[in-house]
Amino acid sequence: MLEISGLSAGYFGEDVVHDVSLNVSEGEAVTIIGSNGAGKTTLFKAVCGLLAASGGTVVFDGEVISGMAAHRIARSGVSYVPAERHLFPRMTVQENLALGAYPDKPDDDDFELVFDLFPRLSERVGQRAGTMSGGEQQMLAVGRGLMSKPKVMMLDEPTTGLAPKLAAEAYAALARLKDQGLTLLIAEQQVPLALSLADRGYVIENGRIELEGTAAELEKNPDVKRAYLGIA
Amino acid sequence: MKAVLFDGLVLGLQYGLLGVGLTLVYGLGGILNLAHGQMAVVAAISAALAMNAGMPAVPAVLLGLLVGGLIGLLLDSTVMRPVYKERGESRVLLSLLLTIGIGFVIDGLLVWQFPIATLRLNIGGGPISIFGVPMRAGSLVATAVALIAAGLLVAFFRYSVTGRAVRSVIQDEEGARLVGVNPAAVRTLIFSLSGVLAGLVAVTRSMTAPIGVTAGISFTILALIVAVIGGLGSVAGSFLAGMILGVINTISSFYIGTYITTIVLLTAAAVTILIRPSGLLGQRE
Repeated sequence: MLEISGLSAGYFGEDVVHDVSLNVSEGEAVTIIGSNGAGKTTLFKAVCGLLAASGGTVVFDGEVISGMAAHRIARSGVSYVPAERHLFPRMTVQENLALGAYPDKPDDDDFELVFDLFPRLSERVGQRAGTMSGGEQQMLAVGRGLMSKPKVMMLDEPTTGLAPKLAAEAYAALARLKDQGLTLLIAEQQVPLALSLADRGYVIENGRIELEGTAAELEKNPDVKRAYLGIA
Repeated sequence: MKAVLFDGLVLGLQYGLLGVGLTLVYGLGGILNLAHGQMAVVAAISAALAMNAGMPAVPAVLLGLLVGGLIGLLLDSTVMRPVYKERGESRVLLSLLLTIGIGFVIDGLLVWQFPIATLRLNIGGGPISIFGVPMRAGSLVATAVALIAAGLLVAFFRYSVTGRAVRSVIQDEEGARLVGVNPAAVRTLIFSLSGVLAGLVAVTRSMTAPIGVTAGISFTILALIVAVIGGLGSVAGSFLAGMILGVINTISSFYIGTYITTIVLLTAAAVTILIRPSGLLGQRE
């Protein structure tokens, strides 16, 4: 479904991500594990067109999307939920969700799907996004990303700034999306949560993929245990 | 006093429309278009020339508005291209320099080619009494047109898919791109719309006072004052500021004198910036 091969990208001519290759199959949940500054966000931005890649290709659903403008990639079925969420702060929950379906007019079913997943949002349809709590904003960001009926959703650290209980709730919602057949690619620092959901994972360090395997393999890997699971 | 207030609100509505275009173009792309007033004048003079050539008033005015929109489209797709490649302060600065130059070029061309062209729309009929205040028919038509335009604008931004997309780019451009909005297309649309709106202001102004070829700079300054006081990027702020300034304008020219009005308006702008740097309804960074 999503094939990234030899992707390099960075800022001001200096690559942060080097020669990254990874793939995500349909219906799969894949996680990218890495610490702050490892290059997860840069990688995601390059995939979804917010950042021009300096090398490599991205193929989505049989079509080369690297080099395409971000809005066209979004319309082709790749939904990206950034860590900073990038909601429209002075618009209501309703308006934020409606824009998720852009350029189409949203239908009631789309809203139902999101409200079913996040009942809290249905109680706040008239509230401005900028006045909501971090957890609610995260729900709204995911909800907005779902409104376009994407084929794959990329989430950059969906638990940023969330208390442990809310982080667990967020992952419960993602698990439901996975059950519904949505393909997921999740960058995460909270490794136990990520591995509880993911089928497979990659470890990224200094902009390079250092390790890959199934979730079970990664959980048992001594390096992963030491560096990310806090187990000596 | 009631008449002065009424006149002020009529004027204020037009100020609001004048500021909206400028404020939206700035809110979308960080571009301060100092040729804003010249777009208005080109639209008005186009209408005047068409009427001199024998075209009836309504199609001539529509043609003028179209020309205003085309100037916006042309600016956006030519001289603004390098500006959009810049970021932050250098973008604002480059846009200032380029558009002020374009304003001078347009002024020069107009004075050279059509030195005596003027748009004056005479709306027939005597004064009509509104709440006991006799109003000129021209003022009333101008007000009606401005009110309809303002209403359409508000409806467009609040309820249409495209209007919502415009607001999304103003509030969070990256978020807008992630939901599939093309910011460049939105900017082109709004730059063209700002040309049409500027033209509409010049046309409605010409119902009460003639518009000559050199009126551009004063339109631009007015638009700037309105946009700054209202808060750059805020449509509602622009209309609010327009109303307030319209009333201030008529009161000061009625009780003090026309010559001092611009000074009063500029003072109002300076005081606003001192008290609220982001404008009345602007968003603090």
